[in-house]
Amino acid sequence: MKDDKLKDAGRRQVLKAGTLLGAGLAAPSLLLPETAFAAKHPPIGTWPAGSEGHTVYIGATVPRTGAYAVQGEDELKGMMLAVEHMNEGHPLMRKLAPRLKKGVLGKKVELLVSDSGAKPNNAVQDQQRFITENKIVLMTGSTSSAVAVALNKLAQREKVLYAVAISGSNDTTGKDCSRYSFRQCFYGQTAASAIGPVLIKNFGKNRKAAFMTPDYTYGHTVTKSVNDYLSAHGGWTMVTNQVSPLGTSDFSSYLTNIANSGAEFIINVNWGRDAVLSIQQAKQFGLTPKMGMVIPYQIPFLAKEVGPELVEGVYAATDFWWTLEDKYPLAKMFVEAFDKKYGYKPEWGANNAYMQFAIWARMVEEARTFYPPSVIKTYEKGETFDSTVGKVHFRAADHQLVRPVVIVRGKKPSDMRNKEDYWEVMEVVPGAPLMQKPDAFGCKLGDYT
Amino acid sequence: MLTWANFISQLFNGLALGALLALISSGLTIIYGTLGVLNLAHGAMFMLGGYAGYVAYQHSGSYIVAVIAGTLFLFIVGIVMERVIMRYFYKRPPEDQLLVTFGLSICFVELVRFFFSSMSKTVPAPKIFAGITNLGFMFYPTYRLAVVGIVAVALIVLFVVLYRTRLGLIVRAGIEDSVMVDSLGINVDRIFMLVFGIGAMAAGFAGIVNAPVVSIAPDMGEAILVQTFVVVVIGGVGSFPGAVLGGLIAGEIICITSMVNPAYAYVMLFAAMTLVLMIRPRGLLGVKGRE
Amino acid sequence: MNADRLGNTQRRFLVEALTAAALIAAPFVLPLFGAAPDTVNRILVWGMLGIGFDILFGYTGLLSFGQSALYGTGGMVSAYLLTRAGFPHVVLALLIGMIAGAVVGYLVGLIALRRTGIYFAMITVAIAEMFFFIEFNPLSHWTGGENGLPGVPAPSLYLGFTTLHFRAGWTLYPFLAFCYFVGIVIALRIVRSPVGAIFRAIRENPLRAEAVGHNIHGYKLAAFVIAAAYAGLAGGLLGVMQGFMPPDAFMFDTSGQLVMQTAIGGIGTLFGPLVGAGVWLFLQDFLQSTLNLGAAWKLVLGLAFVLLVFFLRHGLVGAARSVYGLATGRKAAAAAPEEQSPVDEDSAPAAESQATLAPVTLARHRASHSFSGPILQTRGLSKNYGGIAANVGIDFSVEPGELRGIIGPNGAGKSTFFKMLTCEVSPSAGTITFEGRDITGMNVTDVCQLGLTKSYQVNQLFNRLTVRENLIIAALAELRGKLKLDMMRSLSGIPGLEDQVRHTLELVNLSRRVDTPVAELAYGEKRRLEVGLALASSPSLLLLDEPLAGMSPRERIETVRLLKSIGRGRTMIIIDHDMASLFELAERVTVLQEGQVLAEGTPDEIKSNPEVQEAYLGGVHEAMAQ
Repeated sequence: MKDDKLKDAGRRQVLKAGTLLGAGLAAPSLLLPETAFAAKHPPIGTWPAGSEGHTVYIGATVPRTGAYAVQGEDELKGMMLAVEHMNEGHPLMRKLAPRLKKGVLGKKVELLVSDSGAKPNNAVQDQQRFITENKIVLMTGSTSSAVAVALNKLAQREKVLYAVAISGSNDTTGKDCSRYSFRQCFYGQTAASAIGPVLIKNFGKNRKAAFMTPDYTYGHTVTKSVNDYLSAHGGWTMVTNQVSPLGTSDFSSYLTNIANSGAEFIINVNWGRDAVLSIQQAKQFGLTPKMGMVIPYQIPFLAKEVGPELVEGVYAATDFWWTLEDKYPLAKMFVEAFDKKYGYKPEWGANNAYMQFAIWARMVEEARTFYPPSVIKTYEKGETFDSTVGKVHFRAADHQLVRPVVIVRGKKPSDMRNKEDYWEVMEVVPGAPLMQKPDAFGCKLGDYT
Repeated sequence: MLTWANFISQLFNGLALGALLALISSGLTIIYGTLGVLNLAHGAMFMLGGYAGYVAYQHSGSYIVAVIAGTLFLFIVGIVMERVIMRYFYKRPPEDQLLVTFGLSICFVELVRFFFSSMSKTVPAPKIFAGITNLGFMFYPTYRLAVVGIVAVALIVLFVVLYRTRLGLIVRAGIEDSVMVDSLGINVDRIFMLVFGIGAMAAGFAGIVNAPVVSIAPDMGEAILVQTFVVVVIGGVGSFPGAVLGGLIAGEIICITSMVNPAYAYVMLFAAMTLVLMIRPRGLLGVKGRE
Repeated sequence: MNADRLGNTQRRFLVEALTAAALIAAPFVLPLFGAAPDTVNRILVWGMLGIGFDILFGYTGLLSFGQSALYGTGGMVSAYLLTRAGFPHVVLALLIGMIAGAVVGYLVGLIALRRTGIYFAMITVAIAEMFFFIEFNPLSHWTGGENGLPGVPAPSLYLGFTTLHFRAGWTLYPFLAFCYFVGIVIALRIVRSPVGAIFRAIRENPLRAEAVGHNIHGYKLAAFVIAAAYAGLAGGLLGVMQGFMPPDAFMFDTSGQLVMQTAIGGIGTLFGPLVGAGVWLFLQDFLQSTLNLGAAWKLVLGLAFVLLVFFLRHGLVGAARSVYGLATGRKAAAAAPEEQSPVDEDSAPAAESQATLAPVTLARHRASHSFSGPILQTRGLSKNYGGIAANVGIDFSVEPGELRGIIGPNGAGKSTFFKMLTCEVSPSAGTITFEGRDITGMNVTDVCQLGLTKSYQVNQLFNRLTVRENLIIAALAELRGKLKLDMMRSLSGIPGLEDQVRHTLELVNLSRRVDTPVAELAYGEKRRLEVGLALASSPSLLLLDEPLAGMSPRERIETVRLLKSIGRGRTMIIIDHDMASLFELAERVTVLQEGQVLAEGTPDEIKSNPEVQEAYLGGVHEAMAQ
């Protein structure tokens, strides 16, 4: 009996060694650089423990209940699709991360999900747990900038990479930036700089605008960016700024104030359900379509929730819209794959999530290691690569992706070619000129180790 | 900004909001006054009414059917909840009642999220009320004006039931002293059941009537719940006229403060409640004894 | 520690020892069940927050939703000190945060505690919401607004020969576990102290606690501040544990979650919040990752919670204790059925022998006050309720040592009169003088402390406590005055308490029922305890409001005998409808009718007074005929 066991154990050892040897011979890039690294670098964060096995884990904290549940579920879908593509070596993923074959550096990727309820504390708590228990190699997830900022700090402290999901505040790559975080999506500054000229071109100078701002950092920074641009370049005036607490359901008082302010445009910075309700109620009060509605930071599923009549003629700045498939081949592949799996066309949150994962996979493959400082340096090389919105590259100084902002305008319901054809892409504005100087928002990246 | 037009408009908004709060709070105050149960699931009931109406609307296309469905559904929910769960809690300490209704509210919200997802759903206003009315100093959504009227009718109906029917008399007596009512040989069990049903119905009715104003989502009951409690405390626990008065006052406080500084509206409401509690603890029109 | 039992001096430090053992074993045992160190640390912080909350709610009966405000305040203060202000010492910053929490708690308590019950709860909700708002907006410069305060350092302890650095995970655990242990030890001392006993009395029957001479407002405020201190410290620990102080700590949700967790674990057990947090956090994780429920995890959790509240009335700790009690208590109950049965027949012969003993005098610990003349005197005492005059211009006086009876038809205003005498109700006009002092307009607590107290017509007992514990509450007021915050003292360390309780038990003949909970007493025994509670305050003047109400003829005879023996060396005023018994007891009788004094005199004089007879419309004759 015992002998049998020993023999089995022995056999298993041989098998193991054989597999390793075989794997090592088959994929030299897999084995050698890691061990070389291990020799040179002391452990940091979850490295090398997190990538020693056959599987690597990514921790995602998204809101599945609470205020931003709709957007949270959506970005989660983007993540899951990305993970699937990474593991099977899907052509789209291979275009975005050329060195990838199957899995990232040959390892299977698994997604660990937890419900953050859009609360920073929950997100930090859960990611901490993922780090200690599962040795995740990457953190992701946010629909609110508060969560993003909290996770920025956690990433820096724990030395685990963080792929920012949805975050519109300037601070995320501004004063609250982090060496370990990277943001793909657009934000207040770029949204303002992109939509500003479009508004001035279409509506002229010296117009009057009423702002609707949600009372937290994201809201205030976006309102400021937009107002600064419009007043400096187009002589627009902010006739009123209606600041509403998060979770407001009745906007009647704010809308009444706007009605009496003499505004010609409503610039609505509200997000999530606040945006849905404020837009619906603006229509109820007859403010729109008389006043033009502008959404400087678009919300996924907005058009679906309020209905096409209410977004007709509305200008918005966004990260991605599915009709870009006509312009960018990678976008087409993405939209097709997403539609096939989930039965509807992706919104920008899903695209953002997918892209973040694809970019990360690319960087890790390029660096040929999971060792965080090496991966970070690869990001910071600022190499230009292809994405669903064309050529992009990272800015080393603040870890923000330099990428275009998409200006869309709501279509007339009669012009919609299918159920989801809500927005018309007016312009794809190149990103670089839109951004602030790297140190303008006080970004001081932390240490590598 | 403080202009006359703005002021009058806000007064009006306050009226609309206040009427709604008054209706929902009436339901809560009757339940609390009669049964001594603080129904933390009341906000969820408001939400359920909206969803029940939504489902009915999807199938029938009729606003009236939606309203009836929302109201009746909540009446049943209230009765079932009382029969199956609440009646075991009358003898238990009050915190247990709070806890169980709180737990139930979570269940209601998450059930709805499970079946309907978190996305907002819209129920459009009926054709006759769709559109905007020109009030001279401002434009106001016709439906919101209608809501004031509809809710007023509902409040009148509730008033008639409470003050002009035998059932209402017993309920009001029960609010004063349920032990006495019991010893008078009246079937208190059935009264409690009906009270819960009526209270829930008031919330449900408010939920569907409000749906064309604020599109429905699973979380919509939370904020309403806290505001409702504030109204009940200001108006006086167990007092129907108190709920109406409290609702109107609360609505006005929220809207007038929003005129000046919107961020403080909610806080002002709480400050007002604390003030009432300090100066006149049983509320403006409160029935003494229930603490 | 069970909130229903006071000062368990047996197996004194068993609970503390077990806690220490469990905390030491945890890092070795829990990982076997898949528990992550961060989760365990988090549970400890919730547990810490919960200790204070349980003292406030489980022990004192004050359901407050304002803990989040104090949790956040303490947390923000210590986090601010450690981050923006660059304060170097973590432990000191934590203590400052705790003090900040306590101070703010004191101020909040001054406002909130003006009301009770549901209104109190509502004020705490308002405060929780307002604090969140203030922290989020006007003070966002200091608190970081919705981003919170990042970069909170981990503690390090310089021990002279080495420095201990506590980072995250299991290395931080010893620090948190130690803090929790200290917190529990202090809490256990508090609940076992006289202050803890009074907390429980307030929960059971605040009216009576006040009437036996405790300044319940002061004690409630103390409980509130204690809870605030724990919350403040827990907040600081949260920041240290996460390296980041989030704004969510201030949210009302936090208070709600705390209440739910405490309910799950068991209210009034001190460990309930810890257990509840463990269950909650475990389920949260389990439902999401293991069962992969996605967004439906909250639904399942909600259902589980409802079921738990439904079936487990005392939470998990309570259920565990019941099981334990069932196993061990059965034996105890089987061993002594005789002593525990409430058989009134047995007490009759005992009462007889009691009556023949020399009267037992209760020690009096307050300063004695010398006076001359009547012990109690009222002049023109009146009370109006709206348009109804309950008492009209009553002049009344009682000499020291007298046994006075008050009778009168229903609605005569007898109870109202008594309520004015004890200052439960303030008179509309007139004065009351007690032992030469003007006590008009004082409050019931002060009057009791001066030596005037009452036993109630409807029993006002501390229902979930035992007979002994009831008397302890009353005696504590007599021994310690109306407010004394001796939280670190144990009950057994109060000199004179044992004797006071024992003598009172003997006086009311309840010595054989000492450790029986009130709920298990017979009605007659409860009435005796009711009198006992008043007696334990060593009153110079004892008022008895219908002591014979609801009694059988046999019980009446015994009670009259009891009252006679109590009456020796004491001044008593008794209201009752049973005139036969009253005439037997009293030396003089006052008759009230429609709020005024109708007649006064010896029982014989009253019996033959035509006006009195008329007032009762033949009722007197009937009573005499018995």
